[in-house]
Amino acid sequence: MSDAEVPVPTDPADALAAVAALRRLADRLEDAAVEQAMRAGWGWPRVAEALGVTRQAVYKKHAQRLIAAGVKLRRREG
Amino acid sequence: MSPFDEYLHAVIMRAHLEARDDGSPTVEVAHLLLAVATEPEPSVHSVLSAAGLDRDGVRAALEREFEHSLNVVGVSAAGHDLPRPSRLPTKPALGTSAKLALERGFGAVSRKKDLRPAHVLLGILSAQAGTVPRALALAGVDQEDLAARTRLALTDDND
Repeated sequence: MSDAEVPVPTDPADALAAVAALRRLADRLEDAAVEQAMRAGWGWPRVAEALGVTRQAVYKKHAQRLIAAGVKLRRREG
Repeated sequence: MSPFDEYLHAVIMRAHLEARDDGSPTVEVAHLLLAVATEPEPSVHSVLSAAGLDRDGVRAALEREFEHSLNVVGVSAAGHDLPRPSRLPTKPALGTSAKLALERGFGAVSRKKDLRPAHVLLGILSAQAGTVPRALALAGVDQEDLAARTRLALTDDND
C-alpha cells in the first residue's frame, strides 16, 4: 500500500468499527485541541469558528471540563 | 442493598472511573467490561481469568481493537502528540451500549432476586457487534464459549 492509498474496508463490520473508532479519536483530538487553544488564550468564538460549530455548542461541550481543570477562559474574543 | 445490588453499584462506579480516564462523556460497554475485570468478584473472575482476561488483558484487547479499527481506514491512533486533555469533572452518563448490556444481563432472569454478579458479565458478552466482540476476537477469545462458561458458573452457583 502506497502512502497515497486509503484502504477500503470490504467487511461492513470493519467499516462500522472504523466509524466508531474515528469518532472516538476525533472526540479525543477535539478535547485536546480545544484545551490547547484555550490555554493559549483563544476565545470561544474563534475556537467555534475554527471547528465550524456555534459558540454555544463548543462552550456547552468543553466549558465545564476546562473550568474544572483551572484553564483561564477569555470572556471576550481573542 | 442485596449483594447483587452492591456488586452492580461497585461495577457502575468503577465503569464511571474507566470512562473518565478514557476521556469519554458516556460509560460504554467496554468500560463495563473493564469494571467487571477489576471488581474482585470470584464468580466473575474465575470465568474471565480462565480466558486470560484480567484487567490488563481486557485493556490491551480494547486498545488493540481501537488501533485495528482505525488501521482499517489507514489511520493511526498515535497520529497526534497533543497533550492529554483534562478529565470531565462530572460522572459520565450511561451510554447506549452499556444500557443494552445491563438490560440483557437483567433479562436473563425472570425474578430480580435471582440476579447474580455473573449476569452482568453475561449481558456484556451478549453483544452481537461493536468494540467488545471485536476486542475479544482479536485477543483470540471465543465469545460464545466465554458466555457458555458464564452461564455454567451461574448454574453451579444456584445449586
